[in-house]
Amino acid sequence: MNHFEQTRLNPDDPRLTAYALGELEDDERVRIEAAVAADPALQAAVQEIRATAGRLSAALEAEPLPQPEPRVHHEAYHTVRPARVFRFPYWGMAALAAAACLTLVFILRELPVASKEARQRDAALAGQTAAQPSEVEKASAAATVQPPNHVEIQFPKVAENAPASSGETADQWGVVVPNPPQAAAVAATDAAGAAGSTGGLPKAARLRPDFDVAMDKRADYRAIGAGSSSKTVLADADNMPAAAPAVVGADDSGGGVNYDVALQAGKEFPSRPPSAFPETLPAPEPVPVPLPSGRVVTSGGGQPFNTEAYDYVADNGFLAVAQHPLSTFSVDVDTASYSNVRRFLAGGRRPPRDAVRIEELVNYFTYAYAAPKPADQDPFTASLEVASAPWAPTHRLVRIGLKGREVPTADRPAANLVFLIDVSGSMDEPNKLPLVQESLRMLVEKLKPEDRVAIVTYAGESGLALPSTPVSHRQEILDALDRLEAGGSTNGGMGIQLAYDVAKANFIPGGVNRVILATDGDFNVGVTDRGDLVRLIGEKAKSGVFLTALGVGMGNYKDATLEQLAGQGHGAYAYLDSAREARKVLAEQVNGTLAVIARDVKVQVEFNPVQVQAYRLIGYEDRLLKPEDFNNDKIDAGDIGAGHTVTALYEVIPAGVEWKPEAGVDPLKYQRPEARGQKPEVGSRKSEARGGSGELLTVKIRYQAPEGGASRLLEFPLTDRGGAFADASPDFKFAAAVAGFGLVLRDSPHKGTATLDQVRHWAEQGTGSDAGGYRAEFISLVTRAEEIFSSQG
Amino acid sequence: MRSQPPVKPDPSSSIRTHENAAFVRSAVEQYQAPLLRYATRLVGEPDRARDVVQDTFVRLMAQPPATIDSHLAEWLFTVCRNRVYDVHRKEGRMKQFAEGAAERVVAADPRPGAALEAEETQAAVRRLIDRLPANQQEVIRLKFQNGFSYKEISRITELSVSNVGFLIHTAIKTLRREWTAEMPGAE
Repeated sequence: MNHFEQTRLNPDDPRLTAYALGELEDDERVRIEAAVAADPALQAAVQEIRATAGRLSAALEAEPLPQPEPRVHHEAYHTVRPARVFRFPYWGMAALAAAACLTLVFILRELPVASKEARQRDAALAGQTAAQPSEVEKASAAATVQPPNHVEIQFPKVAENAPASSGETADQWGVVVPNPPQAAAVAATDAAGAAGSTGGLPKAARLRPDFDVAMDKRADYRAIGAGSSSKTVLADADNMPAAAPAVVGADDSGGGVNYDVALQAGKEFPSRPPSAFPETLPAPEPVPVPLPSGRVVTSGGGQPFNTEAYDYVADNGFLAVAQHPLSTFSVDVDTASYSNVRRFLAGGRRPPRDAVRIEELVNYFTYAYAAPKPADQDPFTASLEVASAPWAPTHRLVRIGLKGREVPTADRPAANLVFLIDVSGSMDEPNKLPLVQESLRMLVEKLKPEDRVAIVTYAGESGLALPSTPVSHRQEILDALDRLEAGGSTNGGMGIQLAYDVAKANFIPGGVNRVILATDGDFNVGVTDRGDLVRLIGEKAKSGVFLTALGVGMGNYKDATLEQLAGQGHGAYAYLDSAREARKVLAEQVNGTLAVIARDVKVQVEFNPVQVQAYRLIGYEDRLLKPEDFNNDKIDAGDIGAGHTVTALYEVIPAGVEWKPEAGVDPLKYQRPEARGQKPEVGSRKSEARGGSGELLTVKIRYQAPEGGASRLLEFPLTDRGGAFADASPDFKFAAAVAGFGLVLRDSPHKGTATLDQVRHWAEQGTGSDAGGYRAEFISLVTRAEEIFSSQG
Repeated sequence: MRSQPPVKPDPSSSIRTHENAAFVRSAVEQYQAPLLRYATRLVGEPDRARDVVQDTFVRLMAQPPATIDSHLAEWLFTVCRNRVYDVHRKEGRMKQFAEGAAERVVAADPRPGAALEAEETQAAVRRLIDRLPANQQEVIRLKFQNGFSYKEISRITELSVSNVGFLIHTAIKTLRREWTAEMPGAE
C-alpha cells in the first residue's frame, strides 16, 4: 500500500461503483475507502450509487417470475411440448435422455429406503431388473439409436409430509419414453413416477399432495415442532429435580452423596417418553415453495436440504507423542452444531456427517467446574480429570474444563448492541423471522437501562429500522422489533457495513460493542464472497466492535459461513431452532454472550512420553493451531465469555498399550534415538524421573485480557491415578457420552465400541443436577437417534 | 480454518446417488424460474427459453454434485448462457434482451393501494433498464436480480472483471441520471 500518495478519485470512476457495491478487495478497498472518507463528494456519490443499486434490486426482484407451468399441482414444467423438445440437436438430446434414463434407473436401484413400502418397491424393482437384465440396456440403446417421438422428463417436486414414511424423502423421478416399448417398461417399474404401478394407492399420488395444502400443513407442523415440543420440555424442566442439590462437584474428590441424589432424581428421565419429538413431526424436509422473488440465491424459503452448506471435517487422528509432543488448539464456545443436530434428529433424519462438530456438542452443556476465586487474578481456571475411555477401555480419556468468572449483570459494562436482522424473503417462515423477533425480545428484557440497541435490517436494501435507543425506552425497541417483516432479497454485505457504522457511531469505550447478526445465512447480494465478508468482519473486530451470529431456519442454512463470521468477529455462534434454545443463548447466558472476559484463549497440551504413547484431540478439527502459534499473540483464537465453560477431551493411549500408527515413517537414518530423548521404555520405569514424576501431561493456557495487551500463561499439570470410568464424576461421564454421541453420528473411525445404547447409558450416569433439563433432553435425543438409526438400518 | 471439502465420492455409493437425485431436484426447485427468466431475456421467446433451461438441467444430471455444489448458480447460468449461444449460432441470428420481452413474461397481477404505487415505480425502473444496451442489461440483471458478484459474472459472461465493472458502472450512471430526470424530486 502506498502511504505517501493519496488516491485521487473522480466520482465517475468504475472503482468507486465497485467499492459502493462491495466488490473491491483488500488493498484496493482500503485505498478507495480512505479516498472516500476524505472527500464528501465521493461519499455522496457512494450514497447515490447504493441508492440506485437498491432501487435496481427492488425493481428487478419484484419482476414476476415466469411461471414454469400453469400451476397444476405444482408439477414443474415437465410437460415440455413434445414438438419443441427436439428443436435442438436431436441426437445430443437423445443421447442425453438416454444417459438420464440410465442415471435414473441407477438412482432407483440404489435408493436408500426407510419405509417398508419403499423397500418393497425397491425389491420389486431389483427383482425386475434382475429378471430382465438386458431390458434396461436395450431400452437405453434404443433411445440412443432411435430418436423417440417425444421425451418427457419430469422434474419432480419434493414429496412432502408423507405420513407413513418416517421422514424419508421419496425420490420421484419419472422418465417416460413411450417409444420404444422396452423403455416404457422401465418407466412403469418406477413406482414413484407413473401412476400405473403395482396395486394399491400409487405412492406418487399420495406423496404429491396439493401444493398449497402441503404448505399450510407444513407451517402448522413446524409451529408444533418449535412451540409445543419446547413447551413440553420446559414443563418437564419445571417438574424436574429442582429439589436436588444444585451443585455437583466437578472434581474427583467431592460430592459422592450429591451424585447419588442427583442420579436418583435423574432416573426419572429415561422413563420419560421422548416427548420432545412428537411422532407426528414431519421431516424438516423443505417444501417446494414458489419462489417469493426471482432471487436465484436467496429464494431460500424451503430449498431442499442440499443447499445447506457444511465444510468437510475429518476426524483428528492419533498422533504419536514421540513425533508430536505438543497439541495446540484454540478454544471454541460455539454451540450451533448441537441444536442443528437436534433439528435433524427431531425431523427424523440422520444429520450429515460434517454438520456434527463434536466440540460444539460437548460445549453445548454447562459443567459445574470450579469457578475462579474472587481473589484470583486470572479470569478462569482449568479443571482436569482423567479416567478410562468408555469406548476403548485400554485408552484414557482426559478432560480439560475451563470455567470463566461469572460477572453479575450489575457489573457488566454497558452494552451498545446493533441487531442486524435478515428480513429477506427466505426469512418469512415461522421458524425464522418470528423466532428471531422472539429471541431478541428475550434479550432486550434482560438488558440494563443504560444499554443501547439499534436495529438494522437487510434485504434488497439495507435500512435502519431503529436508531440506537437506550433500553430505558424498552417499549420503543420492542415495537420496532414487532414491526419487522420479511420480504426482499438478501444483501448481507451492505447490511453488515451499515450495522458496523451504527455500532461505531454509538461506541461505548470499555463497554460491550457488538453486532448481533440473525440470519439463515444466505448472503448473496453485495459482498457475496465469503472471503470478503470474513475480511470485513475481521477488520471491524479490530476496531472493538464484535459480532455474534445467530443462525435460524433450515433448507438453505449456511453453517460454515456463520461459524467463520463469528470466529472472525470475536463472537459466539449459536443456532436457534426453538424459543427454548433462544432463551438459553440469549436470556440465561446473556452476560456470557455479551461480556468477554478473556480473548484469544489458546490451549497447548504437552504430553509426557513416558506415560503417553499417542493421543487424539476429540473435535476442534477446525481450531487446531501450530505449536509455535501458541506463543504468538498475533494469532487469533477463541474468546471466553463470563461464566462460560469450555470443555476439551483427549483420548490418550498410555505407554505399554498396543498401538500401531496408521501410517508411520521409516526409522530416521541420521538421528540418534537417544538424542531425541525420553524414548518411552516400556516395562522399566527408569526414565520416570525425566518424564516428570509420573505426570501424564501439562495443560498450558494463554489468553489476553479483553482490552488486549500481552498474553498471560497458565499451567496445569495432570497426573493419572488410574481411575476407572465408572468412578469418574458425572460431568466427566456426561461429556464423554456427548462426545461418544458425536463419534457415532459421525461414524468416526475412532468410535471404538461406542453405540447409541451405551451413549445413553453413560449419559444417564452423568445427568447430575441438570439445571434447565438440557441433559435429560440429550438422553431423549439419543433415544430418538436410536429409533432413526434402527429404522434406516 | 476448515479446508475445502475433498470431493472423492464413490460413484457406486448409494448415498451419493441418492444425493445426486436430491441435488438435481433441488437445483430445479431453486433455479428453474430464475434461469427461465434469464433465458427468456436472452432468446426473447419463452418457449425457446424453456427448452434451453431444460437442456441445462439435463446436463446437470450428468454432473457429480460435488464438483459444482459450491458454485451451482454460477454453473447453471454459465451453461444456460452457452446453450443460448449454441442455439443462436445454429440458427444464425442473435437476439438478446429484446425490448418488450419483459412484457411477455410479466403476468398481469394487479395489486391495490400502496403496493400498486411501489409496483409502478418498480415497473418504471425496469423500463429504464430495458432501454440500456443489451450487454449492460445482462450484467445488471446478473448482478441485481440474481445476486452474482463481479467475479462470478465475469466467469458466466466470459468478460473480464474490469469489463463487468465498467458495464455496471456505466449502466448505474445512466440509470441514476435518467431516474432523476424521470422522477423530479425523487432524488
